[in-house]
Amino acid sequence: MLKMTHLSKVYRTEVVETYALRDFNINVKEGEFVAVTGPSGSGKTTFLTIAGLLETFTGGEYHLDGVEVSKLDDNARSKIRNEKIGFIFQAFNLIPDLNVFDNVEVPLRYRGMKSAERKQRIMEALERVGLASRAKHYPAELSGGQQQRVAIARALAGSPRLLLADEPTGNLDTQMARGVMELLEEIHREGATIVMVTHDPELAARAQRNVHIIDGQVVDLSEDPRFHAAHAAADQAHG
Amino acid sequence: MFAYYLQLGLRSLRRSPMLTALMVMAVGFGVAASMITWSVFRAVSGDPIPGKSAQLYTVLIDNRGPQYNDNGEPPEALTYTDATALVAAGKAAHQTLFYNVAPSVLPEGNQSLPFIANGYATNADFFGMFDVPFEYGGGWHASDDAGRAAVAVISHELNQQLFGGADSVGREITMDRHTYRIVGVAAHWDPKPRFFDLFSGNAFGDPVQLYLPFARAVDVQMDTAGRNNCGSNADFGVGRDAWLHGECVWVPMWVELPDPAAAKGYREFLTNYAAEQQRAGRFHWAPNVRLRDVNDWLDHMRVVPPESRISLMVALGFFVICLVNTIGLLLAKFMRRAAEIGVRRALGAPRLEIYHQFLVEAGTVGLAGGVLGLLLTALGMFGVGLLFEPEIARLAHLDLSLVATTLLVAIVATVLAAFYPTWRAARVQPAWQLKSN
Amino acid sequence: MQIKPILAAMRHHKAGTVLIALQIALTLAIVCNALFIIQQRTARVSRPSGVEETDLFVIRSDWADKSDPRRIDAQMQADLIALRQLGSVQEASSTNSFPLRGTGWDNFIKLQPDQVKMTTDAAIFFADERTLAALGTRLVAGRNFTAGEIGAQQPRDALHSAQVIISKALAERLFPQGSALGKTIYVSMGRTPSTVIGITDTLQAHMTGSWANPYAYNAVLIPARLLNDYTYYLVRARPGQLAAAMRDAPKALYAQSRMRIINAKDGVMSFAQVRRRAYERDVGMAILMGIISVVLLAITAAGIVGLTSFWVGQRRKQIGVRRALGATRGDILGHFLTENLLIGIGGVLIGAVLAVGINLWMVAQFEMARLSLAYVVAGVVALLLLGQGAVLAPALRASRVSPVEATRSV
Repeated sequence: MLKMTHLSKVYRTEVVETYALRDFNINVKEGEFVAVTGPSGSGKTTFLTIAGLLETFTGGEYHLDGVEVSKLDDNARSKIRNEKIGFIFQAFNLIPDLNVFDNVEVPLRYRGMKSAERKQRIMEALERVGLASRAKHYPAELSGGQQQRVAIARALAGSPRLLLADEPTGNLDTQMARGVMELLEEIHREGATIVMVTHDPELAARAQRNVHIIDGQVVDLSEDPRFHAAHAAADQAHG
Repeated sequence: MFAYYLQLGLRSLRRSPMLTALMVMAVGFGVAASMITWSVFRAVSGDPIPGKSAQLYTVLIDNRGPQYNDNGEPPEALTYTDATALVAAGKAAHQTLFYNVAPSVLPEGNQSLPFIANGYATNADFFGMFDVPFEYGGGWHASDDAGRAAVAVISHELNQQLFGGADSVGREITMDRHTYRIVGVAAHWDPKPRFFDLFSGNAFGDPVQLYLPFARAVDVQMDTAGRNNCGSNADFGVGRDAWLHGECVWVPMWVELPDPAAAKGYREFLTNYAAEQQRAGRFHWAPNVRLRDVNDWLDHMRVVPPESRISLMVALGFFVICLVNTIGLLLAKFMRRAAEIGVRRALGAPRLEIYHQFLVEAGTVGLAGGVLGLLLTALGMFGVGLLFEPEIARLAHLDLSLVATTLLVAIVATVLAAFYPTWRAARVQPAWQLKSN
Repeated sequence: MQIKPILAAMRHHKAGTVLIALQIALTLAIVCNALFIIQQRTARVSRPSGVEETDLFVIRSDWADKSDPRRIDAQMQADLIALRQLGSVQEASSTNSFPLRGTGWDNFIKLQPDQVKMTTDAAIFFADERTLAALGTRLVAGRNFTAGEIGAQQPRDALHSAQVIISKALAERLFPQGSALGKTIYVSMGRTPSTVIGITDTLQAHMTGSWANPYAYNAVLIPARLLNDYTYYLVRARPGQLAAAMRDAPKALYAQSRMRIINAKDGVMSFAQVRRRAYERDVGMAILMGIISVVLLAITAAGIVGLTSFWVGQRRKQIGVRRALGATRGDILGHFLTENLLIGIGGVLIGAVLAVGINLWMVAQFEMARLSLAYVVAGVVALLLLGQGAVLAPALRASRVSPVEATRSV
């Protein structure tokens, strides 16, 4: 489903070059639930933005659903984002001017769907996250957990094959976080591929597979001594 | 998608009311100032006789010579001698001559007071050449000119005043103690600028009320109520006869020449006429003649008041500044929503859709500005009397085309102004949104 | 105040900076020229007419029967007697035209009968021995006409101009060295000379067009009643009785004869109306330019407020950091004021060039005068102050940003 080989991402300024990802390799199979972990600044988010076609990369290859994406133009990338990928952000990123219904509708609009079908899908998705009754509410009128569920509904409405989540519970308290996590697991059971970036080991443990990134590279958890140090540090920071 | 974006745009107008109000006001004031001054300008600079302006020519002959003429230009009308001679020659398809008269008109019945009416002493060709429309009857015939008949054509307005709008053909009208038989009632006719009467400065004068035969008016010694220009010539004699046959110019003359070949032919005829005058000893200089068509004549006489031009320029400049202002405010309004743009891009909106959305949104700002501009323009139409003298101000009016132009200009201008801010909006990177967390 | 961080911030907001500078530049260019036009027009409007304008009015009487000249002459004399007998009237005189009328009779004036080009142009006012009193214009030299000198003539007759009174400006134009009194001039096209017997104080001609600017104060008074299709009466009311006199006078004239036409709309006009009519174009232009200038300045100020507020909003965090690092409120305020001043200076520099450019173009197109640099300087100062004023509110808001903002994520 998602395969990166020798991928690199370099940020260049006038003065320095910074490698955000270097010789990065990952292979996520259809239907997998992968958690990507790593300390701050390790390149987790860069990986996710590249995976989600929000950003281009500097070198290497990236096959998404069998398509090499580096050659695609902006329109084609938009189309893939719209049809194959669902995003869940840490900050929810709902559009404050739009109510719940209209927020969920946004990706469907760009798909040129008929009004009746849009409505049906939106209501199904909201039903699914348990917020059908809040369709007319504005994001500011909802709690953080509710907002994140709206964001999940927005991601689900388009029935994406790949769900990319960036610290989906980062802004939520424990109870809300648990709810969101259960929702993700449910979605996974129904067949979606999920890639979730988190630095919460507890959350990561609930995924099928963990991928650890340090300094822009995937490391083998069992063999790399750096892991233990980093893991301990992460535990300390978040414990 | 258009309906969706229109809906989003309208919603967004309410989102940041201060910014929106500023932009709507800028566009509204800008478009209103431009439209008010433009409505005046289009009235004073329009082609008064669109179908024929290239076939009608005024005839000018230099009867003063290089010492006395105006920097080489012949005077702006003809002498009685030249005008009558050229009309009698009949070398053009049609030819007319006229002078301004202002006789006193005595209405029927003892109760009514006499009043002064403005008109032209002219010939039969006048009506056809200048497309005078008729309500009743028609113009008089060439034979009436030759026979110096006491006939008259009156305007729709004068017919209302004298006969209550009834068909007055065949009835009589008393002017300066002489009676004339009415042969025609013109429908409302008031070309602006009145291109044929620029000599007397009547480009924007009151509508003409009556017409009577040139020869007849001269016979009854009806004096010109228009301009009489004697230039700097030496003594032109004493008494009416000497003046009539002297070198003062006071008779504008027009010819209708259907094509350039005819115009060329007439110009040759005119040159020959002047050469003849030279041979006869009247002119001591080489022929110096002009044949100017309507637009050439309007230009030459600078009929558009400089005030109208300057105010239009200033208003347009004002509009440009309002648009620069709008560019800045739109930029602020759009970039304030960088987050929304990032999300939309992440959710699969191609750049084109971002363009679409924000240009439509700008269009709604333009529409709102246009509506305000329309109100201000309508208001300005009342105030236009304060800004221009009455005969110019009354030409400005709010018609359907001005309403449409106002709205269209407001929307198009705002959308154009939105191109840069929209380009910036479409450049927002979706990834930036994620990173900022 | 450090300029460097401000320049850096401006580089960051290139588009906004350019837009504000551009707006200031264009506004300066237009407002300078608009103010200059206002000044020019007001100067024209406030020119003196040389006429004692209060209590003066004019009546136009058209002869309904266009009867023969002798009867017109008799009627005019009878009219004048009737007018002078009115209790509200102090003085009355007949004339063909008067200062500021707009249209009228002007003749080329020559010093020699064979002269090819005119020396100057002048308004021809037919006058009697009472005209100067009616106008309220004094003689500065020579004498007035006597009743016996007043003739009567038709428009195409030889000008009854053996003796004339001329205005001061005309006298000075014709005889720059020495007095015009007693000199001979040629006011008709013919070879008949006229002797100057009197010189009036300032007296404006009827011409108001800008083409006539060089002749605006040239007038020749001809001692005759002009027997034309119409005549004007210049009537001076007794002090404070203008309204009464304007009511009485037409009645008195109609009582004399009904075979006349006094237009209901503008047959009787106070001199204030005459003046208004003569200058309505100029006043209108001044009003329009005034409105445009005011609205333009308001819109430019509003634009600066809008855009600066946006910048402040965008830079809240940055401002918070600066505050956390010890910047005082004054520093923040100073930052935004200085930033605006720099942009403003850039704008007015371009604007001053544009202002002069536009003026030069108008000079070429519309025969306007050259823009005085004082206007550019005044405009520059005004716009810089306007910019500082407009930026004050958002800058104050910025200065109140709390250092806590530094720690807050957006």
